[in-house]
Amino acid sequence: MSLRSPLEGIGVVEGPAGLRLSDLTLAHREGVRGAGAREWLLSQGHALQDAPSQIVASGELGLVMSLSHREFWLLQPDSEASTGRPASEAVAAGVWPFYCQHSHAWLQLAGEPRAEIMAKLCGVDLSEAAFPLGSVAQTQVARVSVIIAAHQSENDHPVFSMFVDQSLARYLWEAIEDAMGEWLE
Amino acid sequence: MKILTCPLNGPRNIAEFTYGGQVKPMPNPSEATDQEWAHYVFYGDNHIGVVREWWMHTPSSYWFIVERHNQTDEVIRTYDPAELFDVGASPAAEPTGADS
Repeated sequence: MSLRSPLEGIGVVEGPAGLRLSDLTLAHREGVRGAGAREWLLSQGHALQDAPSQIVASGELGLVMSLSHREFWLLQPDSEASTGRPASEAVAAGVWPFYCQHSHAWLQLAGEPRAEIMAKLCGVDLSEAAFPLGSVAQTQVARVSVIIAAHQSENDHPVFSMFVDQSLARYLWEAIEDAMGEWLE
Repeated sequence: MKILTCPLNGPRNIAEFTYGGQVKPMPNPSEATDQEWAHYVFYGDNHIGVVREWWMHTPSSYWFIVERHNQTDEVIRTYDPAELFDVGASPAAEPTGADS
């Protein structure tokens, strides 16, 4: 069975100053959670910060995003999602797979005014001074729950990756596109 | 907008949180009488003073504990439940901050 994005057919929104809203929903991601998740990831050679709510580059193409002391997402923006059935057994003792591929859509916002755009929709200060690269916030954007991660894209441009429940993806896309409006004129 | 400080996520708008009720000792479900269980489910202390409550930061599904004065609405402290409960143990703790 092939995966489909809830944003299928919408395309990309682009503007001046590198402004770009794109859909990465079909890019690969997986997660692990449990009391032993952190130690297991370290044993697999992943880089991790000590505190939760951080995102770090790990390996050649990947990122590790920590949402708590026990939950981590592995993001691969350049790899296609696996269509295989997710495993239901523990990865290791105290480490369980977590299916963020199927639950969340992945939107990415790049460009100079990205923090100003998000300020219209989100109560957390996402300016670079308050929310530097490597930061993660689990918060509300346009009143729906969203995970926001600030990191470098594959082109070394700073971006916000945003993860939202698949059923809310179109709503969030339209809210961000509307907030981008004044920069697109 | 009121701000509540989540122990995991930091200060956030109150709209991001869900109230989860008073922290109170749960009787053993397999041994409690109907009256004890009904008392646990439906009754609260309803006193004025510092109360200990469950709150959840909804976007991260993170449950934590708030000590709050229910007359002034002043939040005294917020903290991870691990301070009160052993992992895997049944939740049972009296609110030590309550002045009932």
